[in-house]
Amino acid sequence: MALSEHQRSELEKKVRAGEVVLFMKGNRRFPQCGFSATVVGILDKLGAKYETVNILEDPSVRDGMKEYSSWPTFPQLYVRGEFVGGCDIVKDLYGSGDLQKKLGVEERPVKTPRITLSAAATKAFGEASSDAGGDVLRLEIDPEFNCDLHFAPKADGDLEVRSEGVAIYVARASAGRADGIAIDFVKGASGMAFKIDNPNEPPRVKPIQAKALKAMLDAGSIELFDVRPEDERRTASIAQAKPLDGEGQSLLATLDKNKAVALHCHHGMRSRAAGEQLLREGFTNVYNLEGGIEAWSRDVDASVSRY
Amino acid sequence: MSDHATDFAGDVCAAIREAIAARIPGARVEVTGGGGHYSIDVASAEFTGKSMLANQRLVYAAITHLMAGDRPPVHAVDRLTTKGE
Repeated sequence: MALSEHQRSELEKKVRAGEVVLFMKGNRRFPQCGFSATVVGILDKLGAKYETVNILEDPSVRDGMKEYSSWPTFPQLYVRGEFVGGCDIVKDLYGSGDLQKKLGVEERPVKTPRITLSAAATKAFGEASSDAGGDVLRLEIDPEFNCDLHFAPKADGDLEVRSEGVAIYVARASAGRADGIAIDFVKGASGMAFKIDNPNEPPRVKPIQAKALKAMLDAGSIELFDVRPEDERRTASIAQAKPLDGEGQSLLATLDKNKAVALHCHHGMRSRAAGEQLLREGFTNVYNLEGGIEAWSRDVDASVSRY
Repeated sequence: MSDHATDFAGDVCAAIREAIAARIPGARVEVTGGGGHYSIDVASAEFTGKSMLANQRLVYAAITHLMAGDRPPVHAVDRLTTKGE
C-alpha cells in the first residue's frame, strides 16, 4: 500500500502531535499487548511526557503507520517527529542511557534489586552456566509480571546481582519489579522448573480445577460463591456454593480479606470478571473455577445437570 | 495456536528464512514459532557497525509481504535478533 500525499500529511500531523508520541495497542492505562505495555512502563518510569495513539481504534492509522515508519509492528515510538523504534530498541536504548538523552530526562537512580536463591536453584544455575559460553543469566520481568529467566549476552544497563555466588543480570527496566524476589527450582507438571515468588506482583484471580476446589471445600479451607442469576441456579447448582445474592454479598462483606474465596458461573467467564472485582475490593486470595459448573459436573459430580 | 487465521498455505518458517536470505545474501537465519508468532535470529556481516534500528528494518523489509493484509501468515515477531559477524 503506497500512501497518498494526503495520507502522509495526516500521519505526519499525528507523529508531530507532541514531543513524544507512542503508537500502541490500547492506551497507557490499558495496554492491549505486552510489547506496548513494556514501552509504556519504561516511559512512565522515566517520568517522560508522552502522547499515545491507539492504533486498534483506526485501521487507517494502523496500516498507514506501518508504511510511514517502514516498520510492520507496534508499538512505534516517535520523538520530535523522528522514528526511534519498537519495543526491543526502546529497551536497548533505555539500558544504554541513550533513551534518557533523547527524551531529555534525568534518570532517577535505579536500586539494585535483592534476589534470594534456594539451594536447589543455586545448584541448577551453577550446572547450567558451565555450558553457557559467554552468555550470562539474565532476568526480565515485564509490566504484567511475566518472568523471563534466560542465558543471553549481557545487555547495556543490566544490573548485576550476586546471590549465593551466582551472578544474575537484571534488565534495567525490570529492576523495580525484581526487588525481593525468591527463586526456587522445583518439580512441576513437566519436569523440573524454576519457580519465582515475586512479592511485588499484585494479586491475581487464580484458576482452580474442579477436583482441587472440591478438596479445598471438603477441608473447609475455602468459601465458594455462585455468581449466576437465580434462573440458572435453579437449572443446576453446586451444593456447597452460596449464591452471590443479597445474603451472599453480606456474608462476603464479613469475611477476612485474606480468606480463600472461589467463584463460579456456567463456564468461568463471568466469575473471572467478578473475581477481578473482588481483588479491587481488597480480597487477596481469589480463585475462579475453571470451566465453571460445567467442569464440576464433568469432573466431580455428574448428578449436577449440564445445560 | 493452530487456529491462527491465514490464507497462506505452506511452511511459514521456511518462507521467512527464504525471504531474509534473498534480501541479505549469506545471512544465517534461524526461525522458530508457529500460529502466527515467530522468533527470528539473523547473523550477517551486513549488520556489523549499524544501529539496531537499521538492522531490524532491513529484516522487516525482507518479510513485509508476509506481515501485510488482514490475514497474514506472520501476525507478530516475538523476538528479532540481528548479530553482526
